[in-house]
Amino acid sequence: MRKNSRITPEGTKDYLFEECMLRRQIERKLSGVFEEHCFREVMTPGFEFYDVYDPDFSGIPQEIMYKTTDRLGRLLVMRPDNTLSIARLTATRLQNLPKPVRLYYTQPVYRNNPGLSGRNNENLQMGIELLGAGGLRPDVEAVAMAVEALSRCVPGFRLELGHAGFFRSLSASLPVSEETREDIRCAIESKNYAALGALLDPLGDGEEVQALRALPRLFGGEEVFEKASRFCSGERKETLSYLHGIYRSLAEYGLGDRLIVDLGLVQRNDYYTGIVFSAYVEEYGDAVLLGGRYDNLLEHFGQPMPAVGFGVNVDAIAHALSQRNREVLLPHAEVLIHGEPGYEMKAIRYAAGLLEQGKRCESSVFQTEEEAKAYALESGIARVDVVGETVRTVISDGRKL
Amino acid sequence: MRPLRIALTKGRLEKDTVTLLEQIGCDCSAVRDKGRRLILPVDGGKYEVVLAKAADVITYVEHGVCDLGVVGKDTIMEYGGSFYEVLDLGFGKCRFALAGPKNSSFFEGYSSRTVASKYPNVAANYFGGKAMDVRIIKIEGSVELAPLLGLADAIVDIVETGSTLRENGLEVIDTVCEISARLIVNAASMKLRRGEIEELVGRMEKAVRQSD
Repeated sequence: MRKNSRITPEGTKDYLFEECMLRRQIERKLSGVFEEHCFREVMTPGFEFYDVYDPDFSGIPQEIMYKTTDRLGRLLVMRPDNTLSIARLTATRLQNLPKPVRLYYTQPVYRNNPGLSGRNNENLQMGIELLGAGGLRPDVEAVAMAVEALSRCVPGFRLELGHAGFFRSLSASLPVSEETREDIRCAIESKNYAALGALLDPLGDGEEVQALRALPRLFGGEEVFEKASRFCSGERKETLSYLHGIYRSLAEYGLGDRLIVDLGLVQRNDYYTGIVFSAYVEEYGDAVLLGGRYDNLLEHFGQPMPAVGFGVNVDAIAHALSQRNREVLLPHAEVLIHGEPGYEMKAIRYAAGLLEQGKRCESSVFQTEEEAKAYALESGIARVDVVGETVRTVISDGRKL
Repeated sequence: MRPLRIALTKGRLEKDTVTLLEQIGCDCSAVRDKGRRLILPVDGGKYEVVLAKAADVITYVEHGVCDLGVVGKDTIMEYGGSFYEVLDLGFGKCRFALAGPKNSSFFEGYSSRTVASKYPNVAANYFGGKAMDVRIIKIEGSVELAPLLGLADAIVDIVETGSTLRENGLEVIDTVCEISARLIVNAASMKLRRGEIEELVGRMEKAVRQSD
């Protein structure tokens, strides 16, 4: 026996019974929401060319991509992100469709996370992309769908809103190198006030610097808009009131205090250009949903167009739900059907008849009636019917008759 | 909802943090008198303190099983991770330094260099930033031995007073960066329990400013 023939690679696992059921239930609920809103399902290859996920515009670090080569030596990557694959698909095969294009997907992403961190390296994601439409309406539609989708699976989540435009416009005017800009972004992202201060101190005290300094603290409820307004003139003022508008319409939706604003939400996925949003639940230490507007991404595939979308981490939601309700167990078969020698086919037809009455039946594979009865008692099947010339019930309510 | 859970790095940072918590009026008697327990109530159960090794503090906070953590910047630099690093606590101060035999010319010439360190990632990032290819060897114990035995040209290590270096004929060649204890927060906790966390962080920040 080979050393690794009996284990699965780090970051992967087998999903069993109740876990599968839970995942399928979540998938059905989410695809239900997506289809009700006229999104159509697509599937993209499990591995694609490295160029599709080029770190220069994807923001995905190359060391977390699983790579291999094709027979011409070209670099291939196991899908690390769904949005990029769908952007490629939309810019190519779907380029002639009337816009907007509404797509949804259910497929895993693969990421080679740092070792022994306990993270999954294979994660099932479901999400939507609304492509070829910019502005308020598609933004509201995407965020409202995110709320509806999560409400059906994990009530009690919190939704967080931000806008990539703040950081972009603030940092664009700074006379600093790309590396320093990235350092500033990291400091804001990790709310590292000390490092941010050290980076900004040499840059004077203009409106932009003051605003960048305040950005990680511009986080909370509706009062954030008031606090932020003194740093926002011109273009940023419009961005702020735009975001406030979306906030208000969501507050009307009944989210109330479960809605958070974080203007310091500057994600590493730097393909986002407009609103960004994410959702959190108590049972999981990271976001369970991530989304936003990415108006410049399709350009990299030769078909510039605005787009917005979000992805849900199905595994994270399944984990949260299993924490909430640990007792969910798959039901056993209600009846075990045992065919006597020569009556095997009759037994199968009999089972089909019971199934029509709504009874979950399992067929006996055993040679003798005694073995079938022992199996039923051991595995919690409450009734055993033996099919021969006639049909006899030999176990009922878990007791031998 | 469970109390806010704070992971502390065992040892000196733990003592300094307990002092800070007491300064802001939290009753830490259970931590002072902990016996062998590893999870301890603070302020009558309003918070819970968890005692862990430095790198584990990051792991517990990253996974959200602890909401906050106190850990040295050295550990953060070596192990990385995604969390909010909200406060420089101002204690546990020391620095990462490149050190070598006295009067050695580490940065001169073009022969390749070998560096020993307990912090290979910190060393690699430091030399990467200088566009230098350096062979890095991980050493677990007294790193000062490596240059003395001829295994390495220099070391990257934490320096407090520099007396260990001096006693072994080594000196600081360059400071890599300053280090102090940091307060880190899990991202989801920050979103879900903002009020409680901001209140606690605010009080700690005020106390840190006062003692400066």
